[in-house]
Amino acid sequence: MTTAGVIAVANLEARIDGQLSRAIEGQPTVRERAELVELIAMRGHVLGRIADAERAAALADALVGQEPSDARSFVARARMRGALHQFAPALADLDTAAALEGDRVDLDAERAAIYQALGRYDEALAIRRRAVDRRADFDALAALAGVYGERGEIDEAERWFEAATHRYRGTSPFPLAILEFQRGQLWMEHDDLRHAHAWCDAAVRRLPAYVPANGHLAELDAALGNTAAAIARLRPLALTSDDPDYATQLARILGNTGRTEEAQTWRGRAEARYDELLARHHDAYADHAAEFWLTIGDDPQRALRLARQNLSLRQTPRARMLVRRSGGHPPG
Amino acid sequence: MSDHNNSPRGVAEPAIDIADNYVFPSPSRPGQLVLVMTVFPNAAPGVLFSDAASYRFRVRPVTIPAGGPGSRFEVGADEYDITCTFAAPVTTDDGGNSVQEGTCRLPNGATVSFRLNDERGAEAPGARVFAGLRMDPLFNDSTGYVETLATRRLSFQANGTNGADGWDVLGIVVELDVATMLGRAPETLFAVAAEVVTAGKFPVRLERFGRAFVKGQLLGEYGVDTVNRDLDLRELWNQEDPFELAPNYLGAYRARLNANLAVMDGIDGKTDWPLQPDGTHPLTELYLGDYQVVDVAKPYAEDSYLEIEQALLQGRPHATCGGRSLNDDAGDTNLTFIITGGNGPPISDGVEQATVRASDGFPYLAPPNPDPVVAGRALAPSKVADQLAFLQAAGLASR
Repeated sequence: MTTAGVIAVANLEARIDGQLSRAIEGQPTVRERAELVELIAMRGHVLGRIADAERAAALADALVGQEPSDARSFVARARMRGALHQFAPALADLDTAAALEGDRVDLDAERAAIYQALGRYDEALAIRRRAVDRRADFDALAALAGVYGERGEIDEAERWFEAATHRYRGTSPFPLAILEFQRGQLWMEHDDLRHAHAWCDAAVRRLPAYVPANGHLAELDAALGNTAAAIARLRPLALTSDDPDYATQLARILGNTGRTEEAQTWRGRAEARYDELLARHHDAYADHAAEFWLTIGDDPQRALRLARQNLSLRQTPRARMLVRRSGGHPPG
Repeated sequence: MSDHNNSPRGVAEPAIDIADNYVFPSPSRPGQLVLVMTVFPNAAPGVLFSDAASYRFRVRPVTIPAGGPGSRFEVGADEYDITCTFAAPVTTDDGGNSVQEGTCRLPNGATVSFRLNDERGAEAPGARVFAGLRMDPLFNDSTGYVETLATRRLSFQANGTNGADGWDVLGIVVELDVATMLGRAPETLFAVAAEVVTAGKFPVRLERFGRAFVKGQLLGEYGVDTVNRDLDLRELWNQEDPFELAPNYLGAYRARLNANLAVMDGIDGKTDWPLQPDGTHPLTELYLGDYQVVDVAKPYAEDSYLEIEQALLQGRPHATCGGRSLNDDAGDTNLTFIITGGNGPPISDGVEQATVRASDGFPYLAPPNPDPVVAGRALAPSKVADQLAFLQAAGLASR
């Protein structure tokens, strides 16, 4: 049993508010500022707020500017750069952190996450395996599972996901909900919708406010024929989240059910928002924007351009598939 | 700090991180025993207790072995537990804040329901309960404390700085009528330990707390433990039953306490606690029994921390209630006890009270700071040298 999501989110919000006040009034340490970056990024992920990711990235940037001789500043910025798909600058930040004698184990873990995002799975796997050999705790086991999942080795991924779950001894719901959501995503990619639905449902039951898990659950509901549930779940997400993915999904499902006018409204919102995001964070949203233009956006050429740009950044199976679906022929 | 930020799980979820534990006869209501557990160090307004945890005070009768000076108490088998659990909030108040309800199960099996932050608390026959955001009652010059341990020389100023100044914390306050709740015990001495365990049928211990500064300081890594030079013992310690340590790691705890207590004893340049022929420090067995001891038949005394323990070691009757009151300078008492053994002037860290003194009346803990200091959370280093380096990097300690 983990702490109820409503409590965990309330406590997270309170911590962020409190530390932001301190950041304004007092002189927080580098560690505290790096922690604030992490807390805001976590909130952004859980509550589907791109604005939080942007804020965290800005704070991390400011931290490097103000504390250029502290490895932790560069680690915080590397993490946020990775989240925004600025992979080369993220790796450069980690190199700087290493030169500043940052913790080697922590830096390896950050590098592994970026290698994984880039499709450099062998390198990521080596790091993750060493971490498990060194200390098979929840984080190490979950990270190893994630690499296997990205490589398409679903049985192996599931084995390590199970191990991570059994290893978890905390009460915070966030780590387990994120793990459950990852498992749901993995099964979605392997077209096992029922398994995927079960895991996304588990994540949402543990953390009802978990927006990405709710979004995927809605997608799965629709795919499994439960359109009404999908729409009911997506509407509040599309209204409150600044991530246009939910408006995109809602527009698609509404369109499929003949509610054309409402679908067009959501489509328009999603398009405007993707234009904004591509202008500010092109690399981060190229793939999602490609999905939009490939589906409800109805501009396959634009989708293909974006898909190719995404593939040039990261040679992952998902990126190649996106190019193929957009009508292209990915190399390799 | 006392026990703030001393476990990875507590740092990950502050709602289960015990900060401190206090037990004292009520100064305003004779015949009442007050138990206080503080949780969620550096709490901000709006924080809540976890509904996945049970917060409990474990109370057992203790006796002092007959026949002269002793090294540890004899703990009875009967327990008089008080367990508080909390629900996920389902409503908000007029100000839009979540309303969290709690339930306290008393030693006689009765339960009392209460609401978070209700200043009046809730009452049942023989008990009153409060839970909510309050000012952290801890006060000590944490920087001077760490410098003292790291440099092995007394490093306090005449006017110290309270490291917990401005902090708020979640507090659980239970006031028990001694006759009603503890009356069937044959004696009046009780051991009290605070625990946070997972809620449910088979509770797993997440954190525990007995005496101040044991886990973070006495069990810290000073680089002198020749058995386990590099081993953080806190998580192992946290999972132990305070009244019955398992044999698995007992040797490790003993070696650590023997080494660290000896080093601390020598800080003032003299040995007040000569080691036994086998290297055992005279205080090791006492601190292995990590709980507070209170005499419910004695009246309230503000500065009685460790008095009963000292009486045990000296083979004399104790004079006060012992325990630990909210305004007791436990940090100074602890250091004086370990470093000087009472032979010489008391050690002072230059911080004599909290920012706001705790009250003599229920709910005892001072109201929360309206603008609390909300520090970041990180696992306090186990290595004392790292604790000092951390404070130096933050500009809080001299280099």
